[in-house]
Amino acid sequence: MDELILKLKREIIDVLNLEEVSPEDIATDAPLFGEGLGLDSIDALELIVLMEKNYGIKLKDPTQGRDLFKSIRVMAEYIRENRTK
Amino acid sequence: MNRVFITGAGIISALGVNKTEVLESLRKHRSGIAPLIYLNTLHRGIPAGEVKRSNREMMQMLGMPPEEITTRTSLLGMIAVDEALQQAGLETDAGMRLALVSGTTVGGMDMSEQYYKDFLENDTRNAYIATHDCGACTEMIANRTGMFSMLDTISTACSSAANAIMLGAKLILHQRADAVVAGGCECITRFHLNGFNSFLILDGEACKPFDEHRAGLNLGEGAAYVVLESGESLRRRNREPLCRLSGWGNACDAFHQTASSPRGEGAVLSMTKALASASLSPSEISYVNAHGTGTQNNDLSEGIALERVFGKVPPVSSTKSFTGHTTSAAGGVEAVISLLALQHNFIPVNLNFSSPMKELSFRPSTHDIPAFPLRHILSNSFGFGGNNTSLIFSKAEDS
Amino acid sequence: MRPLYVRRTACVTTRAARVNGEEIPVVATSDPFLTALYRRLGIDYPRFFKMDGLSKLGFLASELLFWGDASRFLPREDCAVICFSRTSSLDTDRRYQASMRDYPSPSLFVYTLPNIVTAEIAIRNKLYGETSVYICETYNPHQIFRTIRNTFAHQPLRSALAGWTEYDGDTGEAFLMQIETQAASASEPLLSAGFLTTAKHNL
Repeated sequence: MDELILKLKREIIDVLNLEEVSPEDIATDAPLFGEGLGLDSIDALELIVLMEKNYGIKLKDPTQGRDLFKSIRVMAEYIRENRTK
Repeated sequence: MNRVFITGAGIISALGVNKTEVLESLRKHRSGIAPLIYLNTLHRGIPAGEVKRSNREMMQMLGMPPEEITTRTSLLGMIAVDEALQQAGLETDAGMRLALVSGTTVGGMDMSEQYYKDFLENDTRNAYIATHDCGACTEMIANRTGMFSMLDTISTACSSAANAIMLGAKLILHQRADAVVAGGCECITRFHLNGFNSFLILDGEACKPFDEHRAGLNLGEGAAYVVLESGESLRRRNREPLCRLSGWGNACDAFHQTASSPRGEGAVLSMTKALASASLSPSEISYVNAHGTGTQNNDLSEGIALERVFGKVPPVSSTKSFTGHTTSAAGGVEAVISLLALQHNFIPVNLNFSSPMKELSFRPSTHDIPAFPLRHILSNSFGFGGNNTSLIFSKAEDS
Repeated sequence: MRPLYVRRTACVTTRAARVNGEEIPVVATSDPFLTALYRRLGIDYPRFFKMDGLSKLGFLASELLFWGDASRFLPREDCAVICFSRTSSLDTDRRYQASMRDYPSPSLFVYTLPNIVTAEIAIRNKLYGETSVYICETYNPHQIFRTIRNTFAHQPLRSALAGWTEYDGDTGEAFLMQIETQAASASEPLLSAGFLTTAKHNL
């Protein structure tokens, strides 16, 4: 699990161009949106692409993303249970 | 008082290939939204407002040889410009300073996405690639008639055509041109269909603007232009105007690259500017042709802006429920629809509406209102980048 | 017609940056030049790293125009942003097109719109005035001058950022002017298209 969390943090930094953020800066249980990282609606869409591209998880409804991106841990747990690649 | 008259208009959209067909579809509540069939895409079947003509058929309409190098966007533009020029009686008029101001963002992308791979691999001289630029599209339309002495191409996403009309008005007022053909053209491409799809804002069914359960937009395509002319030119040519372009305003929402601000700041500013430039108070507007894309974000933001500007909101509808969102052409398509509404005194209805939005105090017009006298129409076109434009069309006698 | 004045000009390319013709010294690092310039100017705006090349150029040129202006973040309705470009978003169009082969990227699609550069400048500085993008075959001083004059007529504008933004294949330039209706010390009158020819040439 810890390995997946670290991998996920690196992937998020990469796809969202968080140039000045390192994996240690992202708290595993903090909300991804609304504070801290300064992410917006386009970033949420890009995370939905990441879920499909890297883990084979297809989200159709943007509101589903809202529940999923509550924290890195929530995301990682969902991936562990639902990944198809 | 701004003195810019409209003496001609042309339109092609999912509702038909000229004003007569478009008017009939609007009055009979016949939507042009149907499953995609002309665009070659994996998303075939998704509802959209395609123009129901192949490129080959449009070339025949225009009397062009089938081997001529052209793009779908410019074919649409040529058909609408032809109709506008013809109505204004400008086809054979010599000695006038005529400008063409055209808005597009897709430009020649339809052909580029078809030939790009070949171009890279083995066909470096593919003639279609040279038609890619947005400016090339304006040039192809202009070259058809050879009548224009000035060309401008505006690319501000979904407000492009509205901004073209606004620039056209300024060219008239500054006496840079005697008449300006202004509007926009855009065909559907895989390029932006996939882009809007990646934004998760395409409704899988016919779009439902201003409905509580709205689920996104339908893409559309088309072209529409108006002929703007100065009073002096009208007198010289001894022609009657169809109506007047009485106001315009552009403002930036300055909020987000693609999302509209929660209270519609840019929309409030563009509508307020347009009203001020027309010297009209909000209560004098008879009908608002809304941007109304059908997305959660736009309709809420625009709805709140309408309440802020008007207080008591006049009849409103989104004709994107008929045409789909024709993106860069939308400002032109909705200008011509507004003009038809003014001339025939009817309010186009808002299709597919059933439940009012809980945040708003008004609901869109859904039924025909018999003998409704229209005087001033405000039309909104908002583009990504927070580029918001409002235009006001008035009866010519309301001067 | 109201007189117009140019307070500052700024030019940013993928190799150098100048304000009023004077080069801003930037120490070379392993970062790309535009990132090095961003750090040199001490900007704290992480959104910068999400922008495409065209927007980065336009954004940095606007930062140079507003540099040291204490009132720059006060919301303004009377400032316009007008850009002219030839290839506009072509560079990002290619990148987005490549992403379409598997998963079309929403963050790339945003920048396939030529006018996002004006949005980035407006969002950063809370500019609620007119924004527009014109596509031109070449840098045409006459067309640019005419359009700027037209923009200032018929609306209560007091200032504008306007100029040429071009980016393709990892090179490009943004040449922006800060134009005002009031003369300030050291500002120059914008009387004809000739100014635009000379100003860009001198950069």
